[in-house]
This record gives sequence, C-alpha cells and structure tokens, in this order.
Amino acid sequence: MTEKDLIQRCRQGDRVAQRELYERTSPKVYRLLVRMLRNTDDAFDLAQDVYLKAFAQIDKFDGRSAIATWLYRIAVNEALQFLRRVNIARERLQQMGVAATVEPHGNGADARLDVEGSLATVAPTDRALLLLRYQEGLDYRSIADALGCAEGTVASRLNRARERLRVLLKGGYGNREGTTSPMHPKGSG
Amino acid sequence: MRCEEIRQQLGPYLDNELPSGVEALVSAHLEACKTCRLESAALNRLASQLERAPSVPVPDALWNSIEHRLDTESPRVVTPPPIEPVWAGRRGPLALAAAVILAVGLGTMGLMSSESHAQPSVSFCVLLDALPLDAHKAFRKFLVLYDAKQVTPVEARRHAPELSFDTPTTLPGGFRLQGVYLLRFGERPGIAARYDRNGEFLAAIFHTPVRQEHHGTHKDLPCVVGQHRGHKVQVGDWKLVHLTDPTTCHCVLSRLDEQSELPSIMAVVAPPAR
Repeated sequence: MTEKDLIQRCRQGDRVAQRELYERTSPKVYRLLVRMLRNTDDAFDLAQDVYLKAFAQIDKFDGRSAIATWLYRIAVNEALQFLRRVNIARERLQQMGVAATVEPHGNGADARLDVEGSLATVAPTDRALLLLRYQEGLDYRSIADALGCAEGTVASRLNRARERLRVLLKGGYGNREGTTSPMHPKGSG
Repeated sequence: MRCEEIRQQLGPYLDNELPSGVEALVSAHLEACKTCRLESAALNRLASQLERAPSVPVPDALWNSIEHRLDTESPRVVTPPPIEPVWAGRRGPLALAAAVILAVGLGTMGLMSSESHAQPSVSFCVLLDALPLDAHKAFRKFLVLYDAKQVTPVEARRHAPELSFDTPTTLPGGFRLQGVYLLRFGERPGIAARYDRNGEFLAAIFHTPVRQEHHGTHKDLPCVVGQHRGHKVQVGDWKLVHLTDPTTCHCVLSRLDEQSELPSIMAVVAPPAR
C-alpha cells in the first residue's frame, strides 16, 4: 500500500490502515520520544497521545512532507509541551519545599553516559534539533517541517546546539577537547 | 573565505546541506587549513557519537493502548438526565447522595456552562491508565498534567472560591492529609488533595462540574453512595467516584468499600453547595 493510499484509508477511520501507519512509523516516533523525555513511561504515554492526535487530525495533513515528518512534528510539540509542564510543576513544588512530589525525569535505566548524558541536559528545543538530525537522519528541510521553522534557520540553530553540546561534553574530541571554537592563528584562512 | 566563515559552514558541509559552489569552497579551505580540518574532524566525531544511539524497541503494549483509547475516547456525547439538586436539609451521606447530580462518564469532559464547547477539558486518562501499576505515580502524573502547585487548605479555598469542597486534615477512617494542590484546568481552577492511612493512598479531586462529556471506559453503574444515578470507574481494586453538585464535581480515588467507608468520606469532602 502506498503512503498516499494509507493516509486516505486512515482518513476514513480504517483501523487496519491506522495499524499499518503505526507499524511503519512507531519505531521512529517512540525512539524520538524516549530520547526527548529520557523516560520510557512518559514516552509510552505521549506516544499514545501522538497517534490519537494524528488519527484525529489526519485531515489536516497536506501531504507536502512525509507522513513520518508530520508525526515527528506532533511528537516534538507534545514532548516540548510536556517538558514545559513538568518544569513548571517542579519549580513550583520546589518553591514550596516539596520537590519530591514530582519525580525527577530521567530514570536510572534511561541514564546514559557522555554524549547521551550531555544531550539530556541541553535545552529541549536544541535536543529536538540534534535528535532529528543525527538520530533520525532528517535533512534540514524535513527538520524545518518537523519543527515548524524556516529551513534557513535550521543550520544556524544546529550550529548553536552543537556548540552547546560540545561545551557540556568538555572532552573526548581529540586535541580540541573542551573548547568551543578552535584557536586560529592570526591571518589564517 | 575566512576561517570564521568556514566554521559557520562546517556543520551544513558535514551534513551535505551546502550548495555545490559553497561546498567546493569549504573543501578547498579544509585542504589548506589544518585548524579548520581539526575542527571539522571534531564535529564529525560528535556527529558519529550522536548517531550511535542504542536501539529503543517499541513496547508491545503500545498499539493495544492506542487501540483501546481509539475505541473508548471517540467523541460520543452523553448527557445525563437532569436531576434537580436538593441540598436543603441534607444530613449524612445518603441525603447527600440524593441531592446531587452525578456526572456520568470519564475521559474528556467539557465543563458545564453556556460556553461549554469552548471550554478546556479535564482528562482522567493519565490517572486511570497508570493506576494498576502505581497509584502514587498515576496521581503525580495527573498533578504534572495540570500544573499542580502545592497550597495550604486555606489557600486552596481562596484560589478556587467557585468550588465547594473540603480538605480536612483527617478523614473518617483515619486518613491523614498529605498535601493540597491547586490545579489549572485551562482557565478554571481545580483542587486535588492527597491522603494516607498507614500507606493506603486516597486522593480527592475537585473541578467545575460537567453536563456533557465524552463517554469514557466505564459503565454507568448503580449509584455507589446513595439513591441517585451515578457511576464509578473501577480499575483493578481502585475506584474513582464522581459526585457532582451545582458548583463542583468531587472525585475520590480510593480502594474503599463503597457501601461502608466511602460514603462518609464523600460526605466530608463534598459539603453542601453554597
């Protein structure tokens, strides 16, 4: 079944087609959510929301991008909104001296070292950019579609995100360890 | 191009996103400039590390959960038959029960008002779905979903003056208050309270009542606390009971027996409407 046929059948509420769309795209969507949230329980919950929203709003999908890119967009939006809510709640509860009421995100099983660990500490929007580019392999145009920004801004935002990540990493990259920009000899280039 | 300009292009260069003319310029520069070559190599290693992510298998249960929600959260609007509230002279849980309208249904609920369709919703899915695994965690997720802020009982009343509720420090049966939270259901305030009895968890949630709501996963059961129509949602041993008066929907999540302990607690947390 072509993607176009699949979407058409999904628009008619065809459960088989919905399952097929899920089978084709869920590894990507779920993986992105796990990486964004660093918590498999939350990713499980939000993945449900993503697909329910997608099936409910599939009439809005205009076909200009791949369906997977459209799902990425929904997933990124859901994840960013969720992280925003969690942060607000955590800050409020911490202000009230009850930080433990909301459990910190990133459980032990999800904790990873080095790049993954640093990736978890960059701003969620930067994380989304880096994940879409490097782990999901999207080109700049698809990233722009997924994030709802202009294609021209993807390169500069990725540059900034990479630099922030490298600052956090502080080591492990040859003789440029810990530096955010190389020291060029005057007049070089 | 100078090194600084080249460095701005290295990311897109390594990502194969540069126009061919610019790509050739960057390539030529890298041939000649060792410093930029090192920077390019560092970026390349970073990219390689980012790409080497461990695989994440999709849980087998995910589709089942989605399908379950597709089946149960379709927008079937259920309108309970009108029941006139009779609050005057209420004494005890049975009288309370007779005097309320019990909202039917869970899931996504439109708030009762003339502009109900434009109002934000209250969703208990996050609470119900996680209940069998860990009630505390399910409740915490609900708090997070609705921007919980811990407040004192007095502050709760001040922030939600339109709701009628009570969060005493103890409930019948020996439950002790652990925390009161101000929630935001869109523009409307809500209140949640957490109680404990020797490790036994009980939660109360108060929000603006509903007239119309999308039917949830529950069945419309005989009233659990009295003579009126009503329902409970049961997930395993857990029950979420709704008791609604003209101003407030009072929801109690517990494992209590609905014939013995629950009515007296409902009577305390759901005082007569003002």
